[in-house]
Amino acid sequence: MAALASSSSSSSLLFTTPPSKLPSPSSLCPFPRLSLPISSFLSSPLSISPSSLPYPTTSTRCFASFTVRAAAAADKKKVLIVNTNSGGHAVIGFYFAKELLGSGHEVTVMTVGDEGSDKMKKPPFNRLSEITSAGGKTLWGDPANVGNVVAGTSFDVVLDNNGKDLDTVRPVVDWAKSSGVKQLLFISSAGIYKPTDEPPHVEGDVVKADAGHVGVEKYIAEVFISWAIFRPQYMIGSGNNKDCEEWFFDRIVRNRPVPIPGSGMQLTNIAHVRDLSSMLTLAVEKPEAASSNIFNCVSDHAVTLDGMARLCAEAAGLPVEIVHYDPKAVGIDAKKAFPFRNMHFYAEPRAAKDILGWEGTTNLPEDLKERFEEYVKVGRDKKPMKFEIDDKILEALKVPVAV
Amino acid sequence: MAKLVVLQPTKQPPISLLSSSLSHFNGTKLSQIQYKRKVCQPKGALHVVAASSTKKILIMGGTRFIGVFLSRLLVKEGHQVTLFTRGKAPVTQQLPGESDSDYSDFKLSAEGYDVVYDINGREAVEVEPILDALPNLEQFIYCSSAGVYLKSDILPHCEVDAVDPKSRHKGKLNTESLLKTRGVNWTSLRPVYIYGPLNYNPVEEWFFHRLKAGRPIPIPNSGVQITQLGHVKVSGTTAPLHMLVLGNEKASKQVFNISGEKYVTFDGLAKACAKAGGFPEPEIVHYNPKEFDFGKKKAFPFRDQHFFASVEKAKHVLGWKPEFNQVEGLADSYNLDFGRGTYRKEADFTTDDMILNKSFALQS
Repeated sequence: MAALASSSSSSSLLFTTPPSKLPSPSSLCPFPRLSLPISSFLSSPLSISPSSLPYPTTSTRCFASFTVRAAAAADKKKVLIVNTNSGGHAVIGFYFAKELLGSGHEVTVMTVGDEGSDKMKKPPFNRLSEITSAGGKTLWGDPANVGNVVAGTSFDVVLDNNGKDLDTVRPVVDWAKSSGVKQLLFISSAGIYKPTDEPPHVEGDVVKADAGHVGVEKYIAEVFISWAIFRPQYMIGSGNNKDCEEWFFDRIVRNRPVPIPGSGMQLTNIAHVRDLSSMLTLAVEKPEAASSNIFNCVSDHAVTLDGMARLCAEAAGLPVEIVHYDPKAVGIDAKKAFPFRNMHFYAEPRAAKDILGWEGTTNLPEDLKERFEEYVKVGRDKKPMKFEIDDKILEALKVPVAV
Repeated sequence: MAKLVVLQPTKQPPISLLSSSLSHFNGTKLSQIQYKRKVCQPKGALHVVAASSTKKILIMGGTRFIGVFLSRLLVKEGHQVTLFTRGKAPVTQQLPGESDSDYSDFKLSAEGYDVVYDINGREAVEVEPILDALPNLEQFIYCSSAGVYLKSDILPHCEVDAVDPKSRHKGKLNTESLLKTRGVNWTSLRPVYIYGPLNYNPVEEWFFHRLKAGRPIPIPNSGVQITQLGHVKVSGTTAPLHMLVLGNEKASKQVFNISGEKYVTFDGLAKACAKAGGFPEPEIVHYNPKEFDFGKKKAFPFRDQHFFASVEKAKHVLGWKPEFNQVEGLADSYNLDFGRGTYRKEADFTTDDMILNKSFALQS
């Protein structure tokens, strides 16, 4: 039974299901954080007592918690998200906007480009109504012209989830500074870490000096006082603009071998996008703690490439045949053939845990089940597809393919 | 009934092994090293142990590797330390070894210990008599193993992860379960691979032998398998982990993984060993172990799989921060041990030659 608290600071009850390798009952299946429309809250903060929540019946190792965060009026922020119009990072802005709105903040999402472009027909852009119906604003335009696009609105926080180099991001940073934005957040990339024999990549490790994002990170740190930088890897989640788990599902449901370059032992980090969103939200709500920090914006577990194939198959309830190959020997470009880097690419979110008190909730076995349900729901399992590069690989390896 | 003989030296002796105290019970070797020294100032600002309360500490084992360092640390903190070896390792002189099963006949009756560090216990039956004999034990600190974790595609191993009841280390699991059911205040530490000077398990030594001999390093399969080494000194920039758990409420009935903060690939470890010992970059040869029959010999000192555990819990809950990075730690081991000409096992390149002679080296 909910009890109204009269404290003036935001209160939250943490409800997270940590990654578990034990089969969990479906009632524990992690779901996106509940976003209650702001109108359901009174003006004073709300807390929910834990005794009203159901507790899991599986082993004591798993615990479940539930986040309902309502910001007090004093802590409400006006946030601008400058969002890319394509690619793997597009979905980050979508989840972040929804989470912020659910927590009572004001959100404007400025998508790069034109509202009428073909790119807007793909997810998450074809679902931006979910943002407006939750009370957010959506705009379109050129980041170089951001000041005019937002037509003089002032913001407390700006997230640039678009630029990969200084030329693209500088105008946003400069405008934010001059218009009195207090906190600047930037989505960089864990891809800038220098490859290492000693994983994982942790914040502070050497980065590739010539990477575009590095120039942006440096500039932001020079210009802003309250800034935070986020370095993501791969993500899954409804509304994703770029294929991730779908690449595996496509092959598994069609009973095709899954060709994986190298040994298949390469580790990668695949997070549910809600984990990235929660990390960003924590940074907005704890700006002093977050300030001047770099955060690996990833889940707290790594998975092998072979493991990901296996998990996708388990989620689909189907068998999988994994085939390894040497891209050079076969004569193909691994980047075109396979959606993940052909090497260990493994960062850990240590700064977020240490500094923001962030906790990961990604549970690939459970999350992939949901992803597969949606994959089937939209009919992608029946979609006719060509696998030209796969066929070339399998031909070279003389692996038969079921017709 | 066997008794633990406790000697009180009349004056503070230099560190020495009291050979006259050696007792021989049913083949159990008992060696006591008892020190009584002034309480020293605690090291480091975050030292959690109340140095004012001197504890009487029994270390099961403690005569070869981890315990050798640990006992010095405990003594420096002003505690009374007794070492009890069940094992085959010689202490002050060669004694015939005894099997673990003999120990279970042994009844331990001591004047009382506050804390037990069990470094070498493998089976639950070995721990039962200790718990029986020490009903008022303040804390039982157990050296378990990360080998108990169920193999997984999702890593790192965390303390909450599933364990494997069929693993080679199930004795450690059974011991942890026993500790839980007995209601004693227990702490379990799960290391991955331990290294450092005096290592009796040829981990870094295996690489050093080959580097010194100028030989290629044969590594199974791709060489990208990830493992993890924890330095024996477990020292941190705050305090050593074994010390941080002593008398610490936050460690009560908790499991902590204990190892290095960074993991390392097999290939990377070969290179790090070379750097640590001042050797040139090694030639690494990959091979498919399935193409060979090595008999009983071990061709490579690590499990041929990813095997690493997160130490973030120890860092967050206890404030521990591991001190050495990979090359520093290996250099410490090299400079204080192998580099001085000491090692535990003679070099044996039999399996290497089998691999190198058969020119089926896999391209990496």
